[in-house]
Amino acid sequence: MANNDINILKVLEAKNFQIQPGKLGTVAIQAGGGKHRDALKALLEVDEKTAVTAITGIDLGDNIGVYYHVRTSNAFATIQCEVPKDKPTLATITDLVPGAAFHELEVTDLLGVVFVGHPSPGRFVLPDTWPEGVYPLRKDFKPSEIKFNPPSTEDVSLSDDRGLVKIVIGPHHPALLEPEKFAVLVDGETVKNVEPRIGYVHRGVEKAAESKTYLQGVYLVERICGICNSCHATAFVEAVEKILKTEVPPRAKYIRTIILELNRLHSHLLTLGHAGLEIGYETLFQYFWRDREPIMDLTEMVTGNRVISSSLTVGGVRRDIKETDIPKIKATLAALRKKIPFYKQMYENEPSLKMRMQKVGTLSREDALKLCVVGPVARGSGVDIDVRKDEPYEAYGEIPFKEIVYTAGDTWARMNVRMDEVEESINIIEYALDHLPGGAYRVKVPRVVPPGEAVNRVEAPRGELFYYVKSNGTAFPERVKVRTPTFANIPAFLKTAIGENIADVPPNFVSLDPCFSCTDR
Amino acid sequence: MTNITTWARVKSPWVLHFNSGACNGCDIEVVALLTPKYDVERFGVKLEPSPRHADVLLTTGCVTEQCAERLKRIYEQMPQPKFVVAIGACACAGGVFAGNYSVVGGVDKVIPVNAYIPGCPPRPEAIIDGVVKLLNSLQQPAANKEEVKTDGKQ
Repeated sequence: MANNDINILKVLEAKNFQIQPGKLGTVAIQAGGGKHRDALKALLEVDEKTAVTAITGIDLGDNIGVYYHVRTSNAFATIQCEVPKDKPTLATITDLVPGAAFHELEVTDLLGVVFVGHPSPGRFVLPDTWPEGVYPLRKDFKPSEIKFNPPSTEDVSLSDDRGLVKIVIGPHHPALLEPEKFAVLVDGETVKNVEPRIGYVHRGVEKAAESKTYLQGVYLVERICGICNSCHATAFVEAVEKILKTEVPPRAKYIRTIILELNRLHSHLLTLGHAGLEIGYETLFQYFWRDREPIMDLTEMVTGNRVISSSLTVGGVRRDIKETDIPKIKATLAALRKKIPFYKQMYENEPSLKMRMQKVGTLSREDALKLCVVGPVARGSGVDIDVRKDEPYEAYGEIPFKEIVYTAGDTWARMNVRMDEVEESINIIEYALDHLPGGAYRVKVPRVVPPGEAVNRVEAPRGELFYYVKSNGTAFPERVKVRTPTFANIPAFLKTAIGENIADVPPNFVSLDPCFSCTDR
Repeated sequence: MTNITTWARVKSPWVLHFNSGACNGCDIEVVALLTPKYDVERFGVKLEPSPRHADVLLTTGCVTEQCAERLKRIYEQMPQPKFVVAIGACACAGGVFAGNYSVVGGVDKVIPVNAYIPGCPPRPEAIIDGVVKLLNSLQQPAANKEEVKTDGKQ
């Protein structure tokens, strides 16, 4: 791992980039004046797995900072540049990394930075009625002064000049649990194009986090997503702990790992069942959700709550695991483990499942790398990235577990990655319970955080979850940026749906395990 | 005739679920209601995909600016008499998101609400309790307009 880190630094030094090792990941690169593209090119040459994790926009007073967070196989770099507020334009990077398209649109929406050469500019997360020229993440923005435009009464055309028919899925649709709109253009039964409109669940969490203390912030970021809430909490508190330079006690690390894996278990079981619902196999859905309930009970036993755990805090966890609970947890997990062979055999051999899932939504390895997808979607296409292995956090560095990779790249492969990860999660929890260190489970931390900034990554059930936190020396953060895994994975659906049958859209879509409350924030 | 329709409504309410800006926490609890452990179908409750066939609208989440118009339209598409249940702290009053720039507030800012079920998210038992209390209130004449409150523990 260390070799690769040095490699990057050497390459960047050789090309005369201004670098600061150890800042914002492995290295921060100062690349003002249009040099951000050169820096990105240099990183792309180092490693085939180089991908843009996120683009953070931040109001710095007279300028707007644009930070490109780039991951390679085992290093993490941040390319920093600034643009003046009165003329915020920057050259696009979508020609180098197609997966950066959404990230650029978001920065344009929230901070008004125009990316010259973006292939499809337009409204992204803000409402349709949002007034022009108002950017919520700029510091001079006042929520009370927004004057929303009246809603548009224009009728949406359902056909286009070429005689193709537009099928609008959403915002309210039986197949979607969340409000989101996808306009699918079809020629007969074949999908020709998919136009997404996200932002129906945009609640402005990043802005709200700036007016909450760090402790309140934990509760706020947990409510970005009810499913992977502990992952959000972990990513946030770890970033704050990095700024505070707090060392969390080992017991807290193990307890956090257990909570995170319980989170993954319930999320994967949820999706595996939901996939059954989408292909019309409701029995499978009922089976999986029946077996998910004991995991919810375990979460309640360990954290005190069924869904939103609210168990993590800056400096550790809020509840200890009782010795008397450990046998109960183990018994429940053992019962779930017994059922896995049945489900595995279902996903591997059941003809109706295979017919609906195999060769549907196939994402090649090249496309997966180009689109910067993460988590089970990447691992289903043969890209072996997992933050738990690449940059171990909490107790993952000490716990042995397998990284699951399938190479088929289709819906079936993505679901099987999750199926196998269920078993790995059980192994991890059991190992963590057997090796649970003694001692304190939290340390006291100051309420006021010294000035600083940190980036942090966590492997959520859906993939790499990224946080950037900047503090300004008060009890309130200056900027909290969240990039969620579904945000990175949606381009995979938009790409693979084209050319397939309209009936294959639901299984393909659900195989991303989409979560829009995460995507929109 | 009224007695028969009330009986039918109480014994088999068809519910529609709409998320107007939730974090998925309440949504997965609503879905959990339909699964074997909680199984609300024993009360005759059936999840219905179309607003035109639904008697009760289960809403989750605060109402975002982008969703407000859609929520109103879905409510208008439902046939009379119709009932709205706000599930979770956000649907009741906006929750942690109240006051954000793209959030209108609780569901009652946009459409009338018959029952509030607080909690973040409410336990499935609390949601069942709320729905059953709403159904019981329908049996009493003129009670339809009254708000039903449950003691949904978190």
